[in-house]
Amino acid sequence: MASPVKKYGFINAKLRTRISKILDDEFMTRLARAHTLVEAIQLFKETRFSGIETVYTKTGDLKMVELELLKYEINLYVEIEKYVTDNVLSFVRVLASRYEVDNLKNIIRLWFDKIIRKRDIQDALLYIYGERIHYDLHRDQILSAENMIQIAEILKDTPYAEIIQKTREEVEKRRSLFALETELDVYYYKMLIAEVDKLEKSDRAIARRIVGVEIDLKNINLIVRFKNLYDLPLLDALKYLLPYGHSVDKQVLSDVYASQDVAGVLKSFVQKQYSGLDALLTTQSTESYSRLILIERVLDQIMMYEVQKILLGNPFTIGIILVYFIRKRNEIRKIITILNAKYYKITDDRIMGRI
Amino acid sequence: MMFTTPMKHIIAVVLDHDSDNVAKELISQGLLHFMSIRELHSPWRDKVQDVVPDTSGARIAEIKKRIESLLSITGTSVSKKDLDIEKLKPLDIDRTEKLLDDISGSIQGYRDRQKQFQQEILKLRDIKRQVNLFGDIGEGIKIHSAYSFLSIQTGSVPSSKAGDLSLAMKELPSVIIKLQEIDQHTHLLVISMKKDDSRVNRIFEQSGWLDMEITGDMQGVKEDVIGDLDVKCAVLEKEQDDLDKQAKSLIQDRTGELLDLWEICRLNELYSRVKSYFSKTARTILFSGFIPASKQKVLEESVKKITAQRCYLEWSNPVDRVKENIPSSEIPVELKNPKILSPFRMLVQNYAIPEYGSIDPTPFVAVAYFCMFGLMFGDVGQGIILVLCGIIGSLIYKSKDKGLFELSQLIIWCGISAIIFGILFGSYFGVALFKPVWFNYHGIITEHARGTGFVKDVYGILALTIYFGILVIGVGLIINCINLVAKRRWFSLFMDKGGLVGTWMYGAGVYTGWYFATHGYKELPNGYFLLFALGLPTFFFFFKAPIKFIKRKIHDPSISFTPLVPVDFFIEWFVELMEIVGGYLANTLSFMRVAGLGIAHVSLMFAFMKMAESAGTIAAIPILIFGNGLVIFLEGLSAGIQSLRLNYYEFFSKYFTGTGKAYSPVSLHSD
Repeated sequence: MASPVKKYGFINAKLRTRISKILDDEFMTRLARAHTLVEAIQLFKETRFSGIETVYTKTGDLKMVELELLKYEINLYVEIEKYVTDNVLSFVRVLASRYEVDNLKNIIRLWFDKIIRKRDIQDALLYIYGERIHYDLHRDQILSAENMIQIAEILKDTPYAEIIQKTREEVEKRRSLFALETELDVYYYKMLIAEVDKLEKSDRAIARRIVGVEIDLKNINLIVRFKNLYDLPLLDALKYLLPYGHSVDKQVLSDVYASQDVAGVLKSFVQKQYSGLDALLTTQSTESYSRLILIERVLDQIMMYEVQKILLGNPFTIGIILVYFIRKRNEIRKIITILNAKYYKITDDRIMGRI
Repeated sequence: MMFTTPMKHIIAVVLDHDSDNVAKELISQGLLHFMSIRELHSPWRDKVQDVVPDTSGARIAEIKKRIESLLSITGTSVSKKDLDIEKLKPLDIDRTEKLLDDISGSIQGYRDRQKQFQQEILKLRDIKRQVNLFGDIGEGIKIHSAYSFLSIQTGSVPSSKAGDLSLAMKELPSVIIKLQEIDQHTHLLVISMKKDDSRVNRIFEQSGWLDMEITGDMQGVKEDVIGDLDVKCAVLEKEQDDLDKQAKSLIQDRTGELLDLWEICRLNELYSRVKSYFSKTARTILFSGFIPASKQKVLEESVKKITAQRCYLEWSNPVDRVKENIPSSEIPVELKNPKILSPFRMLVQNYAIPEYGSIDPTPFVAVAYFCMFGLMFGDVGQGIILVLCGIIGSLIYKSKDKGLFELSQLIIWCGISAIIFGILFGSYFGVALFKPVWFNYHGIITEHARGTGFVKDVYGILALTIYFGILVIGVGLIINCINLVAKRRWFSLFMDKGGLVGTWMYGAGVYTGWYFATHGYKELPNGYFLLFALGLPTFFFFFKAPIKFIKRKIHDPSISFTPLVPVDFFIEWFVELMEIVGGYLANTLSFMRVAGLGIAHVSLMFAFMKMAESAGTIAAIPILIFGNGLVIFLEGLSAGIQSLRLNYYEFFSKYFTGTGKAYSPVSLHSD
């Protein structure tokens, strides 16, 4: 068995260098403060994202820029796969399948729009990621399917067929994809946790924590949205939540759901688990959209807190790989958010509040 | 050149109505490193007010950035070289912002049109992707594209209407292939998107379309379809490129105007910055700052000229100002040495800016770095390669990147060092082409030859690097003593470990070590010598802590002498002695890495030579090229880094106080 230093020495040095080159808050502020989208795009010229400028000046299409960034993000995983072996390699591969799951969700959403909601999806279809990650998703066949049974048949060589079969009735009954999308997430995290359990002890603890925290944050986000935007009964809301969380159990989520003061409940949770970050929740907001943004920001901060902890800890663990992916995802998400905001002429202050 | 550039401090008072001209003159000269008068502990401090610039510096800076951003669309960069202060005039901020908004908006218009073409291209590419899924088009027609978004139809129209149909279909993402013409009817294959079916059917109706099954061979039609799609995509891409060119030419047409605006912004920005350092009374303006002493007269004359002698200028030595509570770290430092030494100045500044009034380390670093690199990487051939790389780098980066330009210059220096030491060691791409001038490094390591002088074997090489280390550390200690004398820090001069007593101990330690080594590692110098050379400074050091205590007590009588204080004295003395013995020993032995790297360099070359010898003549050439390349890259990098490390940690730690602040006057060319 390779020693941790041998296993992670090279990749640790490589990824730390790359992490240090991630576009910093100062750049994001400059981007947000750019007067127009045209001027914002120019800022990328001298960065590693110069491809953004090239794609935009050639096509004028921000969605093409997003597609380019998605390709870039997926390639990060493919690239890291070259530097890891055995169980870590399998783990990274499963991490990459997140994009396949998301892509499948997007395709099925389009199918749903076309067949159930009878909408025109042709334009949206143009920007669907078309490369294979692990399985062929046969997007044209799915989009031409008449029902979910046909979709399951089209995907029969993939693990997704079973999930579609399992959730078919509920999707049809509720005329909503919630159940299917949740099951796809559960499948992804189940695979991920299975791979985490195969890792060595020190790696396992770190990966468990990060994946658990990610699930916690996703669940909090979901429950807050259920409460604010949908009128679901508590039991139904809890049903759609993901297992394998780190420290947010069903009780906390039930409290969040039942309480009139969501921020208050979250505050007491954050105080317990992440003392120091609770100050972020003191800002009062009556508007539900602003409250959602506020809560999302706190959740982001919690993840960044976990990332920082890993960066300051033992360098020779799987933590550095996880941190790299999280930070890069965060960087790309910020870029996309700001560029779209610039396109829709949203003011700097609102953009800054959002990122 | 020996010390940092002497500075003068100025406090100037001019009449309010002269202040604009004075500000312009100060920018034009670019000599004054400003310091707000309110930072001085002078009687004026509380009697003056800050001057609030008329224009919004932040908005101007923002406009400047916007102009740079727009100019970068055409790859036009701005230059600070030809700025002229006479062009300074007020900027109409609102009008300029509107102009930039208009330009940006126009470019966004072009981008939006490019986006429309992009969507057409994507649709055509999607058609192409789906057509490619079929074995041939006939198959696609038969299954009626069940899994596709495509509508593939065959039929005929009167030949006279075929042109109208093609024209009408141009509006939609589609492909029309003419299959054959029979009896004035043209048989066509039409591929379009299912979502456009209703529009397509309308066009068909107007053209007299008749559905019909094509029974003939459809081989080759697929290629025609794909070819047609490629042509359509290429046309649309060209349209996109044309729009991009139009967007760029919009900027190009206004480049002159934008550059002029940028210059005005830049001048206003500098003007605001200078004014922000001004303070005022009812009718006068005051400012202060530092200037190299040699430029005092220039500034004085020009200010007097501008103000027609109606000014008051008070010059002083910055060191005297320190007594008036200006922190010494506030005095700016200029390292002035020949341009040729600029790469070494970069090395010094990367570490820190030395304290004002101390010796400029640049020339010493140059000599030490040059020798260290050569001792580790002495080879004429490889040195020539480095020089060439450095020259190419310099040519590429001369006007692009100052840092990389200076790094390229450093590589030239490293190459020259490698050439000189290569001649001394007789090494030419690892081959002894000529007799070494000093000793045969390769011969000693590979045991093919004996050395000369005191460098006869590997131990001789190790000893050489230790002597070199002693020399470097010795020079460092001497520089430190000179710095302390210059700064009149007498106590530190005598009692610090880098002062006279420390130097004395180091010298004695070196002699003792040398004596011990040259007497078969069995004998030390006689007792009286040891008592005088090592015992006496050790004894002196004991008084350091008590003297410091007394000095503190004089300053602050509340400090009391407790029974633990003598224990502190003893511990401090003991720890300092340990630090001196351990520290100086480690610092000196650290220079053995120079021999280590030199030996590794020779060994690697020897290994590649052996591989080349055993591989035969033809294979030898690529092996030697690869070997030399690898050695130049890896060993060059190692030798460069180790030389830097020895300078930073062994040499600088003896004398360098990096608390200085770089001299940065506000000028037309400053950042």
